[in-house]
Amino acid sequence: MNDPSELPVNEIPPEAQAVLNSIEDTQTRFKRNLAFSLAGLVVFLFFVLYIIGLDFRFMARWLGFIMGGMGYTLLVSVLAITLACILAVLGALGRLSRNPVINSLATAYVSLIRGTPLLVQVYMWYLALPQVGQALERMGIAGAQRWFTLPALVAGILALGVCYGAYMTEIVRAGMQSIGVGQREAAKSLGMNSSQMLRRIIFPQALRVIIPPVSNEFIAMVKDSSLVSLMGVWELSYRAIKIGRRYFQSLEMLVLVALIYWVMCIILQSVQERVEAHMARGDRRTH
Amino acid sequence: MAERDTMVSIQNLHKVFGRDIYVLRGIELEVKTGEVVVILGPSGSGKSTLLRCINFLEEPTAGTICVDDLTVRAGEKGRERNRRILEIRKKTGMCFQSFNLFPHMTALENIIEGPVTVLGQKPQEAIPYAEELLGWVGLSDKRDEYPARLSGGQQQRVAIARSLAMRPKVMLFDEPTSALDPELVGEVVDVMERLAREGMTIIAVTHEMHFARDVAQRVLIMDNGGWVEEGPPEEIFTNPQHERSRRFLAHIL
Repeated sequence: MNDPSELPVNEIPPEAQAVLNSIEDTQTRFKRNLAFSLAGLVVFLFFVLYIIGLDFRFMARWLGFIMGGMGYTLLVSVLAITLACILAVLGALGRLSRNPVINSLATAYVSLIRGTPLLVQVYMWYLALPQVGQALERMGIAGAQRWFTLPALVAGILALGVCYGAYMTEIVRAGMQSIGVGQREAAKSLGMNSSQMLRRIIFPQALRVIIPPVSNEFIAMVKDSSLVSLMGVWELSYRAIKIGRRYFQSLEMLVLVALIYWVMCIILQSVQERVEAHMARGDRRTH
Repeated sequence: MAERDTMVSIQNLHKVFGRDIYVLRGIELEVKTGEVVVILGPSGSGKSTLLRCINFLEEPTAGTICVDDLTVRAGEKGRERNRRILEIRKKTGMCFQSFNLFPHMTALENIIEGPVTVLGQKPQEAIPYAEELLGWVGLSDKRDEYPARLSGGQQQRVAIARSLAMRPKVMLFDEPTSALDPELVGEVVDVMERLAREGMTIIAVTHEMHFARDVAQRVLIMDNGGWVEEGPPEEIFTNPQHERSRRFLAHIL
């Protein structure tokens, strides 16, 4: 056998270096061409909009007014997402609970909400709930009707939060179950109780698995926040539709509002990528 | 504090999986403080299950487990019992075949996790001892590496340090070298050996003959959920009394 010190391990031979270079080249070329291609698609999109005679001046004139609805859209989205996250964690714990009452409550919640259209749920919170209040009032509960009559914004946030909470319950549950039994056993053998195990071992690892599907839900919810326009809240899409109808230029207004949503979702997506990169720090491939 | 003479005591332990998979059949075992015991036996004989019953990763179907001054009987229920089980786990370190390090934590974070989360220490309090343990298993330079960047042998040594950080009174090793490449086995066995020399009470399920022969004070052979034979290693290895032990030893020696 050769003396190990004689082995030429420090020098990568030129032919191997050439292969490495060409792999790197291919990767950079792919990235560059991908960027070109995407840019081309965007240019093409605007070209199409231009040749069908879109009135860009009209769009620019109303941009400020429509952006005024951004506040509502963001408010509804952020609060509904927060509510959905809380419900999802509670729902997932419920779905995994050995307590039959808690488990059945969580299961019924997921089944009922996922089994009915969001549109119907929005009207339930807004239009049907006051009727329940009325009935309760008749049964002698004072003030029930007032409490059960929700402002449009609150009804919208509750409808979206409760609905997305149900979908996300299943994501969180699956994420928690994806953590191997060995991790639980290691945590238990250190003497952790179940809440310590959940908080320190299961959730942090599950979080990493559920970030992509949860981001999907966030993105979907930002767009579904337009449903609150059904109740007359002057958010982004409601303003666009109103103006479009009034001047008979719906195309311009709808294209404009679609672009605004698109940009918001692109921003969300880039946040997702950053969070994912941060979460992947224990991963071999990132080093 | 007076050291107890007996660290682990198991009486009439039975374990049935499902309704009819009868894995442990009335096991008795006494392990003295500072004793090193190796359990051998063919696969499926119940060695791992026995080990996992000691810290209640498996729920015994019948019998009594005593670790140090704590006693838990199978079939007991209630909060107070669960508290005793947690106490047993704090006094018992366990080392798994598949290491089971927490992948989202660095080596150091893995080691201080028990003291910080379970014992309520502040990280600053736990870090000096954790660093000492890292040095003791020879991995001071891997302090801030994530498990995915460590070899199997290194991961297992961090796992041992993680258990030791709880200052356990007894260490359970469940085939700690079975998932390792042959050239990495030595570094883990070496750590186990040093632990034994420092007086730790050890119950190990392992096929490392060197450890069983040179380090263990007692070897027990299990088959089909019961003891076949027990004794000092030199006796068991040179002059096994039972046909079943002879057959098993012929396979592994």
